[in-house]
Amino acid sequence: MIYAGCDLGILSAKAAVIRNGDVLAFEILPYRNLPRQAAVEVMDKALAAAGVTREDVEYCLATGFGKKAVAHADGAVPHIMCLQRAVLGLNPGVRTVIDVGGHSFTAFNIGDNGKITESSITDMCAAGTGKYLEVMASALEMPVEELSQASLKSKNPLPVTSQCVILAESDLITYVNDGHDELDIFAGIASSVAAKIVGLVKRISVNEEIAMTGGVAKNGIVARELERGLGLKLANLGGVDPQVLGAYGAALLAREGEPGL
Amino acid sequence: MIAAGCDVGALTTKAVVMNDGAILGYEIARSRARAVLSATGVMDRLLGRLDLSWDDIQHCVSTGYGRNIMPFARSDVSEISAHARGAAWLAPGVRTIIDGGGQDCKAIRLDEKGTLEDFRMNTKCAAGTGRALELMADSLGVDVSQLGPLSLEATDPVVLQNPCCIITEIEIRHLVLEEVDSANIAAGINDITARRMLGLARNLGIRHDVAVTGGIAKNAGIVSCLERALGAELVKFSEDPQIIGALGAALIAADRAGRPGHHE
Repeated sequence: MIYAGCDLGILSAKAAVIRNGDVLAFEILPYRNLPRQAAVEVMDKALAAAGVTREDVEYCLATGFGKKAVAHADGAVPHIMCLQRAVLGLNPGVRTVIDVGGHSFTAFNIGDNGKITESSITDMCAAGTGKYLEVMASALEMPVEELSQASLKSKNPLPVTSQCVILAESDLITYVNDGHDELDIFAGIASSVAAKIVGLVKRISVNEEIAMTGGVAKNGIVARELERGLGLKLANLGGVDPQVLGAYGAALLAREGEPGL
Repeated sequence: MIAAGCDVGALTTKAVVMNDGAILGYEIARSRARAVLSATGVMDRLLGRLDLSWDDIQHCVSTGYGRNIMPFARSDVSEISAHARGAAWLAPGVRTIIDGGGQDCKAIRLDEKGTLEDFRMNTKCAAGTGRALELMADSLGVDVSQLGPLSLEATDPVVLQNPCCIITEIEIRHLVLEEVDSANIAAGINDITARRMLGLARNLGIRHDVAVTGGIAKNAGIVSCLERALGAELVKFSEDPQIIGALGAALIAADRAGRPGHHE
């Protein structure tokens, strides 16, 4: 039996297709301004990659910011439940999840019984999110992935103190014009993002093991700085792309029966 | 006598070349991360187009956030002074200037003689700036230059409340998801930007005539919001409102060229 999950986020759409418990395909599609079309497109890509058709899908659940706009879904589930399901499936020892997406920040604790005990969600500030990193990378005129990789080597991260994206961008431009190295600047930005994430996660309990999910989890330097800030190693999630975990969790829930049904 | 002004902004770099009190030409280009490269590139292109060389310029004044590191400029001047000078030269009746720049917004008041009296500038929040407008246009999926024309087709403008452009971006993305007409969202974006600009000017105290300078002045929707709120027409410049800082710098350069040994 084929099940699917679709996570329509604020900056990208993600889809997962599974057969029973096995992953057939994951797809990620960044989009600009047509969320409904992006949801259809990313699902069609994932189905094609899995070698199945829409008719083969037994049940599909949508999640994320645009979950109600996913035309091909049979139902919608909260994002936090999808993350919980996916993370526990990959590593049952996880007790704290930090999800940092394009425009959102979620942290939650999982009890020993597997239930969510405490959570904190903020979408009221872009500091510490993927959007912030994107704006900064574009001001440095380099792709964010390249900067994240290269700036791991920086020895002198520069302090970036502005919380506001736009004003931090001004600080950054001033650094560039003062002749500072781009990688030292980006290392400073990554460290300020990590500090912001640490501050947000400390609103709930920090219980081991800690897993990081969402697009920003793929950013090597932010993940490293976060480990330093927390004084802990992030949990192993079996090498699955942390950006597709919302969609993956939705697919797993689709297979198990939508919660509350 | 040839004088030049170069306004190195956070988002765009502008240059104006003047000869004996007349504008010979101007150039506007997107700023690169390195201000010196942006400015030199714009100046080179403009001089090339006018068939002039660097040696033909008697005095060049730089302004904008990169003004003190321009190797080719003989002296520099603050953006406030440059805008005041440029706007008053084009429109002698102007008494309040609202400059919607790339990464800041300024309100400048002139006295009866057209000289700088007082100003306000935003320092803690980017609302009301060109960059904020760009980010909001981007979340709507249109180019910032389309916001003006698009908003004129609005039938039921949305009301955006939050001053932060990043939070507003999320609000806009929700509206897009709900398939609200883009024209109505564009009108809402222009409206919130105009309100922020006006707030700064009211804090300074408004004296008529009022002019808007900077890239934001090219947005017809924002201009119409401001005119409605002020209950008066804005000054219409005979030149591109985005070059007024560079024009002011060129005028100041011409003054200084006439005063040998002048250093500021």
